[in-house]
Amino acid sequence: MNDAQEIRYQIEEQIELLSERNKEPEWMTRLRYRGLKAFLEAPHNDPVIKDPLEFVIHRSQEIFPEVKSLDDLPPEMRSLLDRLGIAEVEKKYVTGLAVQSDTSIVLNEFLKQWREKGLIVESMEDAIRNHPHLKERFMHLFDPGESKLAAYHTAVWNGGVYIRVKSGLKVPMPLHLFFLIQNSALAQAPHIIIEAEPGSEIHLIEGCTSPILLRHSLHLDMTEAYIGEGAKLRLSVLQNWPEYVHTRPMTRARVGKNAEFINTTVGLGTGKSNIANPKYWVDKGGYVELNTIILGKKDFYIDMGGEMYLQGIGARGLNASKSVIMDNSRVITKGIIKAMAPKTKGHISCDALILNSSAKMETYPGLVSHVDDAELSHEAAIGKIREEELFYLMSRGLKEEEATQLIVKGFVDPLLKDIPMEFVVEIRKIIEMAVSGGF
Amino acid sequence: MESLLKIENLRVAVENKEIINGLNLNVGRGEFHIVMGPNGSGKSTLALALMGHPKYEIKEGKIEFEGKEIVGLSPDERARRGIFMAFQHPEEIEGVKIIDYLRLLLEKVKGMEPLKAQEIIAKKAKELWFSPDMLHRYINVGFSGGERKRFEILQALLLEPKLLILDEPDSGVDVDSLSLISLKMREFHKRGMAILLITHYGRILQHIDPKIVHVHILKEGRIVLSGKEELVERIEKEGFKKVFEECGCNE
Repeated sequence: MNDAQEIRYQIEEQIELLSERNKEPEWMTRLRYRGLKAFLEAPHNDPVIKDPLEFVIHRSQEIFPEVKSLDDLPPEMRSLLDRLGIAEVEKKYVTGLAVQSDTSIVLNEFLKQWREKGLIVESMEDAIRNHPHLKERFMHLFDPGESKLAAYHTAVWNGGVYIRVKSGLKVPMPLHLFFLIQNSALAQAPHIIIEAEPGSEIHLIEGCTSPILLRHSLHLDMTEAYIGEGAKLRLSVLQNWPEYVHTRPMTRARVGKNAEFINTTVGLGTGKSNIANPKYWVDKGGYVELNTIILGKKDFYIDMGGEMYLQGIGARGLNASKSVIMDNSRVITKGIIKAMAPKTKGHISCDALILNSSAKMETYPGLVSHVDDAELSHEAAIGKIREEELFYLMSRGLKEEEATQLIVKGFVDPLLKDIPMEFVVEIRKIIEMAVSGGF
Repeated sequence: MESLLKIENLRVAVENKEIINGLNLNVGRGEFHIVMGPNGSGKSTLALALMGHPKYEIKEGKIEFEGKEIVGLSPDERARRGIFMAFQHPEEIEGVKIIDYLRLLLEKVKGMEPLKAQEIIAKKAKELWFSPDMLHRYINVGFSGGERKRFEILQALLLEPKLLILDEPDSGVDVDSLSLISLKMREFHKRGMAILLITHYGRILQHIDPKIVHVHILKEGRIVLSGKEELVERIEKEGFKKVFEECGCNE
């Protein structure tokens, strides 16, 4: 058996396992096989992962107990949730919390109540069976053949969540989603679909982490968001991966007329390498904002893109990133905004604070206009902490480390406006520890 | 009076250019000293060197604070021993809210509990005309001249140093702020703080009893004249040039 056959055989095995376990409709299994075919043919151009085949693994017979409530989670996960303050958030505000552990979704009282009003939160496996129209949504903002990793995701995706907010429904509290991946037999490839129907509003906070032993070191999540006319979606993603994980988050959104999408990513533990190039298509009067906070440390390689297509009259886009870079890390930002209709506006801003001379930062803003009355602009500021700033704070009695932490916190804070205070506190703690060489 | 700050034969260079050139000065506990001098005579260099700015290299001489050598100590160690310098041009620090900064300062430097710190900050801020809203602004960002200088005084008020070095607190300040700063200076002095005031003008002394001040005139990095209040008046009336000619300080 040659390599290609071996790979095909292994992926086929995974597809059959998933298809049977999930009792999937036929269209999904066919889509998976399309993914497999594409995987063998699609181009691969990842600068870090030279050979994606090393991440294709044998299936295992391990079976994990079903998780019905937070109490069923393994102690490591519980303590992680506690550390992140999640349990506290839930207790205090009775807010939406859906913890997903492989394919089970833990629903709390909040979600049960809101389901009646029109907020649907289901595991993707359930949603595929329950909502036939997802055939017109699933992998409609992506093409399995566009890259080997997209193809692999298509073939073996598992886990993830489907969220639908009914027309006009405004969910007042943020909904927390946690993906805790524990089944090491499967590829880490959750698929997320969000449908914000016209006039609806919701804020989703997604915490990605894999706290327990993993054999996998590649994470391929994919998010497809459909935002209807006048709807407002906020999606805040907190990444806190172990250092050996490579992550390739793939996010795409269709932003409807006069709709708004605020997409914030806080990459504190981005993993060994993190490459993301989200894409947004914005209709008339719509607005998209991509806020990214990056903490680059050790030998991390982080490449943040972002393509915004301003397709309707008056559509607007903002791509703002702030990076704190240290050790031997390398951070690249390259947003692109394309103005394709009159009166569109776009702005890219990239700020980086470099804490030592071996860390590297590169930024490549791309502005493309197909019309003559678009306003497109960019700004970038890459620098070190100024000696005078540090001296000012130290002359008042703060140690160099304390002064540095304060400056770094001040640099990052303005982009944390969408993140609930509990997380901001945790985020600050993580940044402080990193700056002081604590981990 | 017991010595607090003792400077002996101090030579300071910035980027290998010597600015302070054999300076001697003694400041006793609770004393009020004024250093005056034309532009470029080394006034700010003296202040920054006392605080331990890394760019200011001590070539020779001693700086003793409470009988202990402080040359070689980091700025924060000097601050923790009780030296405070109010900057002529306070730095802007983008993103760092005043309230977060002051709370951290009181916690780390004075070992104060957060709630207690909060209470004291609110009280002292009011004394210096800072509204609660203003405490949520970033350090010195978008501040007027008067606000910057008042914010320096606020920090001194919170930290209660033994030696307060004021580098031109009267430059670029509105009349009302100047009056307030002058008043606060008197309070500091009354509470026993030693003051080293660097200034061009005498008007900041409006609330200070002229009899208590020691005046030093700096020229090319050395103190060429020392005296009492009448020196200030003389400088104001005649200017540095004439005073230097009369005293033979140009030789």
